[in-house]
Amino acid sequence: MSEPANPLASMPHRFETPSWINTGLFALFLGFFLWSLQGAGLSLTDLLTGLPNMAQVAGEMMPPATDRLVPVAQSILVTFQMALVGTVIGVLLSIPMALLAARNTSPHPAVRHLVRSVVSFMRTVPDLAWALFFVVSVGLGAFAGTLTIIVDTIGFCARFFAEAMEEVDPGPSEALASIGASPIDRMAVVLLPGAMPSMINTSLFSLEKAVRSSVILGLVGAGGIGAELAVSMEMFRYDQAATIILLIFMLVFSVEQLSSRLRNRLMDRPH
Amino acid sequence: MESLAHPAASGTATPAQEQARTLTSLTVSGLTKRFAGSDMPVFRDVGFEVLPGQSVALIGANGAGKSTLLRCCVRLIEPDAGEILLGGESLSDKRGRALRQSRQRVGFVFQKHCLVPRLSVLSNVLHGNLAHGCGPRNWLQGLARDEDRQRAMDCLEQVGLADHASKRCDQLSGGQSQRVAIARALMQDPTLLFADEPTASLDPQSGEAVMELFGELCGKRRLTLFFVSHQIEHALHYADRVLGLKDRRLGLDSASSGQTLTSLREFYV
Repeated sequence: MSEPANPLASMPHRFETPSWINTGLFALFLGFFLWSLQGAGLSLTDLLTGLPNMAQVAGEMMPPATDRLVPVAQSILVTFQMALVGTVIGVLLSIPMALLAARNTSPHPAVRHLVRSVVSFMRTVPDLAWALFFVVSVGLGAFAGTLTIIVDTIGFCARFFAEAMEEVDPGPSEALASIGASPIDRMAVVLLPGAMPSMINTSLFSLEKAVRSSVILGLVGAGGIGAELAVSMEMFRYDQAATIILLIFMLVFSVEQLSSRLRNRLMDRPH
Repeated sequence: MESLAHPAASGTATPAQEQARTLTSLTVSGLTKRFAGSDMPVFRDVGFEVLPGQSVALIGANGAGKSTLLRCCVRLIEPDAGEILLGGESLSDKRGRALRQSRQRVGFVFQKHCLVPRLSVLSNVLHGNLAHGCGPRNWLQGLARDEDRQRAMDCLEQVGLADHASKRCDQLSGGQSQRVAIARALMQDPTLLFADEPTASLDPQSGEAVMELFGELCGKRRLTLFFVSHQIEHALHYADRVLGLKDRRLGLDSASSGQTLTSLREFYV
């Protein structure tokens, strides 16, 4: 009779010994990180000598100036309008792009790869680069900023919309295919409602992102409050800059709160 | 009160529908299916006929290919070989719109209900109408024609869920969801109804109620029913004929009256 096998023999070790390749890769990463500390210009001395300057600028910011409150408020409104219009148009354009890019709806793999590449390009080029491109193309002002937000939103939303569509349960679509429903009907009644929670989330997050982004776009002349902030800082009017920063904070915070409430309301409604 | 535009909702049918009903049968011959990457076929050379008005059960062990066979019958899964005749018409060469038109007469109830969870019960029932017409009028109950909304409510009434019409489908129990799926099939007004393990995800009581409902509707509407079940009692009680898949072939095609629990258990060994 053979001896019974020791069940403890197959017990896994508490920790696995890393392979030589993994150890080497980790060492390489660590070396590059240490080198990057130098490249990133980290300096404790500069930080310590800069602290009094920080305190001085912060002191000059108080109290925030109210002399240019009306034009600054108008710029804030334009900033929000750019973000809103850019996001809505971007989201609407993202839907057909996502349908072409999603594995379960794309008419052909070649189309899917092409659209995904275009969307990737839109996303990976920074919004400031897009803003400079549009400022040169269509001139200074809010239109260049709005175009930038549209491109930025497509790059962001089309990708996540496509992923949301790919994750929709194929069962209901199969059920409707079995009774002869057309592909367009199946997209409208199964795919879009199925992907809707994720699409609403992505769109609202995109609006928040666009509001933050549209503040910066003004720095390169693409309209909005950014230009006001740049001018105030360049003219050493830190008290005006403080007012602008506070208004930016109020705008971004309000949009985040509003989108959060809107998200909860839209998720629970039957159709 | 609005009148019901669709005669099927009230149980009466026009002469044309009556004719369509009597013509709809299913004939399968030499059906073979092999999935990519597998040496062995799921089933081979399967042939049978389902006559109009009959109730036929398909039994077999897990993995025997019952669901695949059912899906092959409407070409949701493409068979590798064989012929499928639906109401005397071959499905084999049909593509696109022609295939969709042939499927209009065939209802399908799935094990997992396959409803759109975020939409209301009424919208889901209304989707049965997509077999006959496309467009936004059949997408959401809010956009639907009055007569279609009324007919969808009537279908819900028949499955006992009229008071759940405005609920979201993800708020329903398994049994209620399956009843909504049946109501959607009624809305479509098929002449042949496939049901793939319709009671598998339900408790015994709900499962029995669903099968009772099938029996009642088949009698009332002269539906042809072809259902897959693991419950031999259902095959014996609700089917006129029983088909059994075993060892990749159709090993049984017999009247249910000639079968017993013991004889059918052979298909699960």
